[in-house]
Amino acid sequence: MSVVSVSSVPFSLGRLGLIAGNTFLEAVRQKLFGFLLFLSVGLVASAQFFREFNFGSSELKFIADFGFGALVFFGSALTIATTAQLFFSEIENRTALTLLAKPIWRAEFIFGKLLGVFAVIGIFCALTVGLLIALLWQRESQLMRFDPEAFAGGRIIQYGDLLIVGTLQWIKFGVLAAIVLLVASFSNTNLFTVVMGFFVLVICHLQYLASDAWRHVDSVIGALAVRLLGVVFPNFQLFNLADSIGQGAGIDGALALRVAAYGFFYIGVIGGLAVYSFRHREI
Amino acid sequence: MSSPVAAISIQGLIKDFAITLRGVKLRAVDTLNLEVAEGQVYGLLGPNGSGKSTTIKIILGLLGPTHGEVKVFGVPSGRVEARCKVGYLPEAPYFYRYLSGRELVRFYARVCGVKKPTLKARVDEVIDWVGLSGAAERRVGTYSKGMLQRIGLAQALVHDPKLIVLDEPTAGVDPVGSAEMCELIRKLKNQGKTVLITSHLLAQIEDVCDRVAILDRGRLMIEGAVGDLVGKRDRQALIVDPLPPEDLAALKVWLEERGHHLNAVEQPRARLDQVFLDHVARR
Amino acid sequence: MKFNVTAFRPARTGLGVLAGLGLAGLASQPLERAAWTEVRASQPALALDSIKDALGQGITVGLLGGFRAIAADFFWLRTNSLWEDTDLPGTQTSIKIVTAIDPRPLTFWLNGSRMIAYDMPHWRIARAGGYDATPTVVQRRFDEEQAQVAIAYLQGAFAFHPDHPLLTLEIGNIYLNRLKDLENAARYYLQATKHPDAPFYAARIYAELLRKMNRPAEAYAFLKELHPKLDPENPFAQAPVVLERIRALEADLQIPPSLHYLPAQAKKATEALTQ
Repeated sequence: MSVVSVSSVPFSLGRLGLIAGNTFLEAVRQKLFGFLLFLSVGLVASAQFFREFNFGSSELKFIADFGFGALVFFGSALTIATTAQLFFSEIENRTALTLLAKPIWRAEFIFGKLLGVFAVIGIFCALTVGLLIALLWQRESQLMRFDPEAFAGGRIIQYGDLLIVGTLQWIKFGVLAAIVLLVASFSNTNLFTVVMGFFVLVICHLQYLASDAWRHVDSVIGALAVRLLGVVFPNFQLFNLADSIGQGAGIDGALALRVAAYGFFYIGVIGGLAVYSFRHREI
Repeated sequence: MSSPVAAISIQGLIKDFAITLRGVKLRAVDTLNLEVAEGQVYGLLGPNGSGKSTTIKIILGLLGPTHGEVKVFGVPSGRVEARCKVGYLPEAPYFYRYLSGRELVRFYARVCGVKKPTLKARVDEVIDWVGLSGAAERRVGTYSKGMLQRIGLAQALVHDPKLIVLDEPTAGVDPVGSAEMCELIRKLKNQGKTVLITSHLLAQIEDVCDRVAILDRGRLMIEGAVGDLVGKRDRQALIVDPLPPEDLAALKVWLEERGHHLNAVEQPRARLDQVFLDHVARR
Repeated sequence: MKFNVTAFRPARTGLGVLAGLGLAGLASQPLERAAWTEVRASQPALALDSIKDALGQGITVGLLGGFRAIAADFFWLRTNSLWEDTDLPGTQTSIKIVTAIDPRPLTFWLNGSRMIAYDMPHWRIARAGGYDATPTVVQRRFDEEQAQVAIAYLQGAFAFHPDHPLLTLEIGNIYLNRLKDLENAARYYLQATKHPDAPFYAARIYAELLRKMNRPAEAYAFLKELHPKLDPENPFAQAPVVLERIRALEADLQIPPSLHYLPAQAKKATEALTQ
């Protein structure tokens, strides 16, 4: 056999990309991805049903709300289930044993998984938001012909904002995927990880209440606990800009950038903590 | 001449698994000292739960030692660089089922950092070497157990490691597959590779190993060259054509006149696996 | 009792993770605070106390969790279903729940008030035995009561949409169409016209109301002031229609032709001719 030249870069983006690519391939071949994508697309498409109510231009708000509702609901479910499944399939099928016995860092493994899931969720978001935009555009064009006065100021829906909201939701799912990986890094079962993922999702959505309420808690220990809750969990409400769509007020670009930076900061930090927790895990 | 660095050096290795917080622990490996010289085929034997797999996982950096030191070519096993020179075939390997054999080997080659110019040739070479050229485009999910072992060996060898760790490479494989695996191990030895092998099939180990160590409940019971351990130095066997009774009696007298004793007269038996191999066509 | 140190590694790691999350939370606070203040400003406070009993625990958590828009949509669909069943208390309660959940969309306020002001009096009359069996006085009382409920409901909307011309116009419409109170209708129409985003028709209807109240001189003055401000290129401004009405009022008021209102372009042409 010939002797080959083997590169041994300490931390390689190439290896990270390979693991991410493999994770992506595995995820899109899972039935769950197709199923949730089908449900989400189905729900967005079922917005046609609002025509029955003759809401006029308000119908667009309903279509947008239901579209983003489907994105948030099924996107969260897909993120939690896929991340946990892809992690535990490596552990339970012992492919992690073969992979981690290679000269790769555990950080490459964790961030590779995270990147792979992020790509899958990106496809999901792009398809759902793409369909939503197409539906809204087509329906708005029809309504403009029926009731031009309601659209005297031009189109009501700001389509750039739809893209911004879709992107921010994608980043939020990235944070959620990092959280699920963090839980998976010490959890023994897929089920526990999924349940914890949903639990943390709810906490992160209600985090702002803890941030607001701790000053009003009477006992010192209670206030400290509530304060801790507010500090430890990221604020998912920050990503909730979809309500502004179709109501005249556009989304502030600088605000969207700040929220995106906040999301990426947490993806990095929580991903790093998942590596920290996973580094001594016995495979 | 400087003393060569051992392929594997294990000094005072102890591995405890915590069972409860109250101090109850399971000692999987107990003060193990081993040296595997470069170029040897080394057998690690022992019943289930004797600590073989734990030792292998520590060598591969998949587990950390509780006490003691494990080095691979002089590098502590927990470091990623230690795995650059190691190829690993896990017991009953499971690979990404949706990849073809070639894609799988290519994936691991890239993970190990095999450089692009040599990648294709190297992948083709190892696939051919393990005799899977005809099935390289098939999905791994359709492979038989023996083929999985061979593709597993291909992924373990693709980055041309100096040390190959084979965990139960013939477990669950039919005698033809086992014999082929033994043949491949001999070829590796001829190439100057160091092979660490665990197996329950002691006869096969005996055939291919230079040295063996026997573990029981985490402790090293015996270690040495195979010939030294299994050979009876105070006995000799003469294999002759069938003798008529009168010739046999004469031989016995002749031996006794010279102070020797004929201990046993037996019919030599062929090994059953050899009979099997002689009658079953190799794939 | 002897403790196993290695058994505590998960606990140590857990504490390390918590500490890391805490530090991340503190480090990200400047970024979060600035963004959150802005996001929060677009989300009116939830008046949960008024609707808590009507919602399940799950929906309450959903609302707190940021799913207000979609929850309000669901309740609006439910309102429509109750409306189809002419369930007066149910519809009225549901309308109020919708805007308590999400007061931002105007459509809820406008359509909700229309159900209250225009549909519910019919339901009450039908329940009282129909138009033939219900005395006119009772019918009028139903109209007035429902109109008052609707107006009070719309007044509540100003807390979230201060001075919004469509809300002002809606109140004017209720005075006009349900209560036949031209005086109050005109008052609200005039108020709406003062808003820069008021629809063009508000001013036209205000002038028409003045005319109907036998105040053609006021209507004429109002339209003369309005016309030059209308963009002739904008089809919704309907400048020619306004000019027609000015001419009609000039005829009604018997204004001599020499004193007729001249649009800006015509004025310029006339001036050029006289020079």
